[in-house]
Amino acid sequence: MSNVTLRIDEHTLTAPKGSLLIQVMLDNGLSIPHFCYHEALEADGNCRMCMVEIEGQKRPQIACNTPIKEGMIVRTTTPSIMQTKRAILELELRNHPVDCPICDQAGECSLQEYYMEVGLYDAHVAKSDKIHKAKHVDLGSHVVLDQERCVLCQRCVRFVHDKAKSADLVVTGRGATSVISAVGAFTGNGYAMNVVDLCPVGALTSSDFRFAQRVWFLQSDASICHGCARGCNIHLDHHAIKGGIDTLYRLRPRKNSAVNGHFMCDTGRISYKSLNENRLLEPHVEGHATSFSHTFSLLRRTLDDKSQTIVALVSPHWSLENLASVKLFCARFEIPLFGAHEASIEPSFADEWLRVADRAPNRAGLELLGIDVSPHARDRALSRAQVVLDFGHDATLSSMSTRYYFGTHPHSDAQMQLPVAAYSEESGHLINCDNIVQHYSGSVKRSEPLLSLHALLGLLVMEGAWATQPFWHATLIDMAPSLEGRL
Amino acid sequence: MSTHIVPRHGKSFKERWYLSALWVGFRTTFGHFWRNILNTNAIDVLEYPEVMPNDITARYRGHHRLTHRDDGSIACVACFMCATNCPAQCITIEAQARIDGIDEKEPRRFEIDLLECIFCGYCVEACPCDAIRMDTNIFSMVGNARSDFIRTKEQLLATQGAYAPTHSQAKGAHT
Ligand code: SF4
Ligand code: SF4
Ligand code: SF4
Ligand code: SF4
Ligand code: FES
Repeated sequence: MSNVTLRIDEHTLTAPKGSLLIQVMLDNGLSIPHFCYHEALEADGNCRMCMVEIEGQKRPQIACNTPIKEGMIVRTTTPSIMQTKRAILELELRNHPVDCPICDQAGECSLQEYYMEVGLYDAHVAKSDKIHKAKHVDLGSHVVLDQERCVLCQRCVRFVHDKAKSADLVVTGRGATSVISAVGAFTGNGYAMNVVDLCPVGALTSSDFRFAQRVWFLQSDASICHGCARGCNIHLDHHAIKGGIDTLYRLRPRKNSAVNGHFMCDTGRISYKSLNENRLLEPHVEGHATSFSHTFSLLRRTLDDKSQTIVALVSPHWSLENLASVKLFCARFEIPLFGAHEASIEPSFADEWLRVADRAPNRAGLELLGIDVSPHARDRALSRAQVVLDFGHDATLSSMSTRYYFGTHPHSDAQMQLPVAAYSEESGHLINCDNIVQHYSGSVKRSEPLLSLHALLGLLVMEGAWATQPFWHATLIDMAPSLEGRL
Repeated sequence: MSTHIVPRHGKSFKERWYLSALWVGFRTTFGHFWRNILNTNAIDVLEYPEVMPNDITARYRGHHRLTHRDDGSIACVACFMCATNCPAQCITIEAQARIDGIDEKEPRRFEIDLLECIFCGYCVEACPCDAIRMDTNIFSMVGNARSDFIRTKEQLLATQGAYAPTHSQAKGAHT
């Protein structure tokens, strides 16, 4: 596509012909107040917040419905356009309750931001003259609606219709008394909570995050959802309050056009809870908590005892780094290693959009690393095993074998359990259902020292390099040359 | 993030030329110095604690308290503005949904660690609901353990102000 050159204030920009002016500005990090426009939804032009001056046009124009043209000259800061923006924002705030102190959106709210930028700081309307609407409507699916805060941009309505393919949300009423309402139970076909991210103000908030934390305290990591093989890109938002432990408060989708766009499913969004709760934090032997050194010496004794038949199982829930470390570890002690099986396939989870039936995030990685996944060989080996080294696999074992378990959560049927870091506490790579290699990182710090699986196994074989990324970079490419340039 | 620029006060030549203010300050300092050194018997001494100070002004920043609404319920809505503004990071708040219909949000836990507090008053400045004040005139805080100095929500609500009005004066910051 051919490019055109245009001027916006003092910037000269080049962008593909036909692009929307607002998108060019957003892509170049220029400020352009807007409510109804969202990259993932079609331009609607209902809020009029995105007014700009275009040379040669008599009246101000909306940037979200204006394709760019060669030589276009756009102004966004002249006194008259500032006055226009101020007037439109005043209309948006005409009946707004201004209850930022109790609003979860505060800190990431478009109204607050534009108020600071173009606001009319002295109101013309007394609070007592405002029109009141419903303040706390629980729509279901973890979404709470505050009708007074709504700016009627209809992003939520359009998302539900165009993306989630349901008809749950509508605008009812007229003029100043228009409100968003749900028709029946709001489900959004399993994608309901995306409207919380889409809503530019605090009208739609999450009941799961309600009053849990102020957003400006949260630290955000760029991670990957481990809920299914899609591997939606996410933000992990966490914070430790004074004297408390580092806790995950919410997951939010992170834009990646090749994988999940701007969205994620509700199941994935809520999945963070299991990372906070009921974690395996200390080594256990026969159900009792003990020290790492004691567990390590027991484990080494078993590994060196050649009279025992040992078999290892690994699940497709680990990163490439962790899977490769398990493979190296088993090769070193000549333990047969088996991988992925049917357990994490859940056909009912799949849908037409993001969710896929494979609930494991890295089956493709397991196969790429050449770990044996044939059920026959695995079952044959398991039936003879006396000790099973279980790397988060969760298979049922015959009563004859004892399980040594490496995992993030306690296992009810294990002789020995070693705690390892969950994905929110480490970094690594995953390969998703479309064969895309993705990197995740997490910096949640538990008060107990939790090591990544690969660092823990490195300690066991006494190789410090196993804790480092450069080592895995080289090792992974060595094991699977097709990863070259994709890590 | 955008900012709202507030015009700076004190633009006159006298104000910008700080030497004149410095001169006024030194005159006071040396005035006291010479007066005291020439007549040590006349130095101002307060026999504390037998004699209590009686010159605490209304602007004095003492022990904090949490104010009440006209109906007697807690005024604080757990907005975290005070905790955010606190340079000592000594305010710990946990919020919960308020279910009595008066408001939507309130603190479940509201604690100030007075050992970390620097009594700057920024929490009071930040509060949009006039829910926290330091107008108690309490300047003496004593305890036997560090934990004695962590004031809880209940203690802060029970602390009295030294001046009328005793209720939050915020008019519908969020009604
Ligand atoms: S609820 Fe939010 S997204 Fe929906 S119309 Fe109102 S402001 Fe827009
Ligand atoms: S579709 Fe899969 S990867 Fe995406 S959020 Fe849902 S569970 Fe997570
Ligand atoms: S007086 Fe200052 S240091 Fe003390 S709690 Fe208030 S803001 Fe924090
Ligand atoms: S700023 Fe005021 S209302 Fe907000 S949490 Fe602090 S005391 Fe409560
Ligand atoms: S963003 Fe352009 S009219 Fe709403």
